[in-house]
Amino acid sequence: MFGEQQRFMLFLIAPAALLMLLFQVLPIVIGANASFRNWALYNPKKTWVGLDHYYAVLSDPAFLYTVLPNTFLFMVLSVAGALVAGLSLALLLNRPFRGQKLVQTILLVPLMVAPVVAAIMIRWIFNDQFGIVNAVLEAIGLEGQPWLVQRWSAFGIILLTDIWLWTPWFTLLLLAGLQSLPKEPFEAAAIDGTTTWRVFRFLTLPMLRPVIVVCVVIRAIDAFRTFDIVWTLTGGGPGRSTELFSLYAYVHAFLNLDLGRGSAAAIIGGLIILVIGVALYRLVDRIAKA
Amino acid sequence: MPIVTRPHFLPGLPQWSRKTLFALALFGICFAFAFPVLWLILTSLRPESGVYYVHRGTEFTLGSFAEVLSDDRIVSAFLNSALISTLATVFSLLVTVSSGYMLSRFTGPASRIWFGTIYVFRCVPYISWVLPLYFVTQSWGIYDTYTGLLLPHVAVHICFFSWLMKGFFDGIDPSMEYAAMIDGCTRWGAFIRVAVPSALPAISALAVLCWLFTWNEFLFALILTGNRVPMITVVMAQFVTEMGLRWNLMAATAVMALVPAFLIALFGQKYVIRGLRI
Repeated sequence: MFGEQQRFMLFLIAPAALLMLLFQVLPIVIGANASFRNWALYNPKKTWVGLDHYYAVLSDPAFLYTVLPNTFLFMVLSVAGALVAGLSLALLLNRPFRGQKLVQTILLVPLMVAPVVAAIMIRWIFNDQFGIVNAVLEAIGLEGQPWLVQRWSAFGIILLTDIWLWTPWFTLLLLAGLQSLPKEPFEAAAIDGTTTWRVFRFLTLPMLRPVIVVCVVIRAIDAFRTFDIVWTLTGGGPGRSTELFSLYAYVHAFLNLDLGRGSAAAIIGGLIILVIGVALYRLVDRIAKA
Repeated sequence: MPIVTRPHFLPGLPQWSRKTLFALALFGICFAFAFPVLWLILTSLRPESGVYYVHRGTEFTLGSFAEVLSDDRIVSAFLNSALISTLATVFSLLVTVSSGYMLSRFTGPASRIWFGTIYVFRCVPYISWVLPLYFVTQSWGIYDTYTGLLLPHVAVHICFFSWLMKGFFDGIDPSMEYAAMIDGCTRWGAFIRVAVPSALPAISALAVLCWLFTWNEFLFALILTGNRVPMITVVMAQFVTEMGLRWNLMAATAVMALVPAFLIALFGQKYVIRGLRI
C-alpha cells in the first residue's frame, strides 16, 4: 500500500502518535463531550445541556473580571520579566571573568527547583508572622505586611516566584544563542569605537531576535497554563483574587465537583491560547524568514 | 590573541572601582538567585523550637530529616517519584527521538501535518486534557497506578521534545546516513547506528530535562493519583495545608526533594548547555 519510505516515516512516528491519541486526543474529545452535559457526580444520567456551561463560564463575573485579566497580566509580566532578567544575565555570562563557571552554576539553581518547592520556600520567606522578609522590615523600623493575604502583594509574589523560576531557562537558551553569533561584526564595531549600548541595540539584539522570539513563544504558552505555584502559594486567594485560568477549571471540576463546567472553562482557555499560539507561530515564521 | 579589546562597563571609572562594582553586582545577583534555597536549607536544620526564628539562635540539628525519613508515606513518595521520572525519561526518549528524526529528515505533507499536530497540541493547556484523563484512567482501571501516571507523563513530553529533537537533527549533516545507506545499511540501520550516536549530546540534554520536568511535575500527579501512588510534589503540597505550622519538617522534605534534582542537573549541566544550541 505504501512505499518503503512512507512505511519508515509511519513507524518513526507511530508510537508517539498512538500515545498522543490515547492520552491527549481522546481525553480532549471526552472533555468536549462533558462540557455539553450536566456531568456532575450527583447526576448519573449526564443530561445534554448544550452550551449552558459555556454561557455560565462566559457570564461569570469571576471569570471575566478576575480570572482572565489575571491570566493575561500574569502571562505578559512573567514573560517580560524573565526575558529582561534572562537576557541581562546571558549578556553578563557571555563576557569572560574570574569565577564565571561558578556564577553560571548558581544562576541555574532555580531550574532544578520544583515549582511546588519554590512556592513553599517563598511562602515561608513571606510568612506574615515568622518570615524573614517581615523580620527584616521590622528590624529596620518598617511595618511587616501580610503579603499573601492582600491581592496585589500576593499577585506580585506569585509573579516574582515565576520570574525567579524561569529566568535561568531564558539565560541558558539566550547564552547558547549569543555564543553561536559570528565574531566579525563585533570586532568591526569595536575597531570603530562603537559604544556598548549601540553594539547591543544594533548588533546583538537584531542577530539574537530569532532565538528571543522562540523563547518568548514557548514561555508565553506555558505561562498561560500556570497552576502549581499559584495553587501552593495562595490557592487562588485571598478570596479568588489571584485565580488563574487553570485554577478556575480545576476548582470547578474537583472542588465544586462539576466536571461539565470545569471542562467548558478548560476548553475556552484552550481555544484562547490556541489562537494566541497560532498567531505567535506566524510571527516566528515571519521573523525567521525576514 | 584578540585583535581588539571589548568595551568595558562604565568606561569613565578607574579600573579598581569598576572591578569592585562588578564583583558587588555579581554577588548581589548570585545572592538573589540562591537565597531562597539557602534559607530553606537553614530552616530544615533548625530544631522545632527554633524554627520560627531562623535568623536568631545557633542550635542546629538533623532531627527533622530523621523524622521525615521515618514517615512511610514520604519515603514511598520519594521512591515513586524517582521510579516514574526514570521510566518516563526512558520511554519519552524512545518515542521522541524517532519522531524528531522523522520531522527533521523528511519534507512533504506527512511531515508538515505531524509538525502542525505537535505544535497545536503543545499549545493545549494541560488542564484541558488532564481533567477528563481522570475519568479515562478510572474507566480503564489504571487510575492511581504506575501505568496511569507514567503514560500521560510520556505523552506530555512528545510535543516539546519532538520539536527540540527536530532542531538537533537539523544541525547534524545527513550525508553520513546517506553514505551508510549506499554501503548497504537499511534506513533503520542508518537511523540507529549513524544518526542516533551523533545526536547523543542532545539526547543526554533531553534526558536531563525530562527527568527534571517529571520529578518536578505537579498537576498530573495531583489529579491522576490518590493514596496508592503518592508523588513527592503532591505530598509536599498537602503538607502546606495539613502541617502548616511544622516548617522544619516541610523544609527538610523540600530539601530532600531538591537533592536528586541537583545531582542530576550538576552532572548533566554540560550536556544541557551544549545540547540546547537551537
